[in-house]
Amino acid sequence: MKPAHIHHPEAAAAFLQDREQARWHDSAIWWVRQKRDTQASQLPEWEALRTLAREIKAHTLSRLDEYLVAFQENAEKNGVVVHWAADADEHNRIVHGLLAAAGVQKLVKSKSMLTEECGLNPYLEQHGIEVIDTDLGERIVQLRQEPPSHIVMPAIHLKKEQISELFHRELGTEAGNNDPTYLTHAARANLRQHFLTADAGLTGVNFAIAETGGIVVCTNEGNADLGTALPPLHIASMGLEKIIPRLEHLGVFTRLLARSAIGSPITTYTSHFHRPRPGGQLHIVIVDNGRSQILGDADFYQSLRCIRCGACMNTCPVYRRSTGHSYSYIIPGPIGSTLGPSRDIDQHGSMAFACTTCGSCSNVCPVKINLHEQLVLQRRRAFEAGTLKPVKKMGLLAMRFAIRHPALMDAGGKVMRKVVPVLPAALTADSAWSRAGRALPDMPSKSFKELWRERQQENPS
Amino acid sequence: MTSRDAILARLRQNRPQGPTLPDIHAVPFLGFEDRFAAFAGLIRNLGGEAVQLAEGESVLDHVRARWPDHGRLVDLTSANLPQPVRPHDWNDVDVAVVPGELAVAESAAVWVSHPDNTFRSLYFLTQKLVLVVPRAAIVDNMRDAYARIRFREHGFGAFISGSSRTADIEQSLVMGAHGAMAALVIFV
Repeated sequence: MKPAHIHHPEAAAAFLQDREQARWHDSAIWWVRQKRDTQASQLPEWEALRTLAREIKAHTLSRLDEYLVAFQENAEKNGVVVHWAADADEHNRIVHGLLAAAGVQKLVKSKSMLTEECGLNPYLEQHGIEVIDTDLGERIVQLRQEPPSHIVMPAIHLKKEQISELFHRELGTEAGNNDPTYLTHAARANLRQHFLTADAGLTGVNFAIAETGGIVVCTNEGNADLGTALPPLHIASMGLEKIIPRLEHLGVFTRLLARSAIGSPITTYTSHFHRPRPGGQLHIVIVDNGRSQILGDADFYQSLRCIRCGACMNTCPVYRRSTGHSYSYIIPGPIGSTLGPSRDIDQHGSMAFACTTCGSCSNVCPVKINLHEQLVLQRRRAFEAGTLKPVKKMGLLAMRFAIRHPALMDAGGKVMRKVVPVLPAALTADSAWSRAGRALPDMPSKSFKELWRERQQENPS
Repeated sequence: MTSRDAILARLRQNRPQGPTLPDIHAVPFLGFEDRFAAFAGLIRNLGGEAVQLAEGESVLDHVRARWPDHGRLVDLTSANLPQPVRPHDWNDVDVAVVPGELAVAESAAVWVSHPDNTFRSLYFLTQKLVLVVPRAAIVDNMRDAYARIRFREHGFGAFISGSSRTADIEQSLVMGAHGAMAALVIFV
């Protein structure tokens, strides 16, 4: 769970204090973006694939109720039990009820942003159930008692030295051994014991197939597979937007997901579950928790096409330079910055401004969500809801006034170009937009408008 | 009203406009002149290896030559399929030899869904995974693969591509996160 009231610019400023760490974070994530580009360039049909994915998802959203009903019918024919949860609380109660009925003491979980959204772990722990996150990155942040900072790479904000210290304390690894292979294999040995002694496994859902009633879970580590192949009880939590109509559509989405997410052609394991194991149970919990509301919002419903690949955050210049922990919603980056404000504009208003409107997110999104356009619209909502800090609000109001009065804008610009160069540096450094080490650019002699007019006169078209 | 009915009612009420379902076969997808070469080239970067069985060589010959000191070996391609009592009983397996129905050139993935395997835990508990695939059963891309797969193993099936891996510590790629540390695909 995230702490309440994170204000993006303040949290980002705190993160940027450690310049070396900040630079590392930026370049590590940019590297993933470049791997994604390499994969995309190897498929001549990449853009056509994105269009297909967008259309399949857009079609599905226009008949979501029908496809969910078909999914439930087909899943039940296979002996799967389907549950419906209106909100986070109902989801948590259903999961706990299933675990309590089976006498579960230890639950192994694979990655699920939905259960983060619902706050499942603390809920179950309050009810005396031991919850072990088994994705390596998730396990690291669980042991550190902090939220994931990225939806695909949960511990990308940490250096190996920090993980080494954590594992030394929690798992008894050698002090000062920072070798990633050594640390990973130590976690493997420790988690293997948890897999073998767990009473139930919980997974997320990457795709749910209406036609077959099956679900697909993708991991590179194999943790979802061990967690569901060993204990007899498998619970899968899915957001209701995870539906795709047909099995053949996986031939589009499995080609896009890992390439977009991590720059691999596919995840190591792409596992399809249709029936409980012999002697076991398979339960699927379909969760709304605000999604049906977003569906009805013409400005934002497209965000429900998201397949949670994380490509938008890997490319985002703001995310890379501020970490996921600077965003108040559990999902950071561009997609989180529309989903969070859609859910609660008062709490997540600052996220809408964690954006340069460069549009790179929309260009890499495998389902072509108009992310940067949504963020501009979320800004308007944040302004109207009165969530802006006074300085920002005054600045925006002044800007609006100036833009609506061109003569004033021209005059103001002229004064600024004359006055700023002769101001003492101490005065210009002390503004809301300035930081230590930053200098104002040299003032141009003419405004854009003046330059434009001159050009038009020189070369009349 | 149940949560189900309330959710479905809201979804019906809030339906946006949407396009008709596109034909995913109308777009030409990637193909390869030499699918085996594409598969074998790719899997090397994914913690795996692909070989074609030599004339007169058996799968087990090849496995034993590669890992002469191997521990417990379970062979799901053999006629007498071993069936443990619990899925946990596969935990000490060193080498699992498993039939793969289909290989995919673009992703180095192999489809696994064995009708007589009670406990799929074997695929994930074993230290080394050997997938045995018929030479002709290799397709270009995932769309072609989905047209051919069947769920034979009580509703379960998986594409497995290389070794279990993670890059969760500083983006350093490490093989052997939770599942197999080595993956060998033998085309027969």
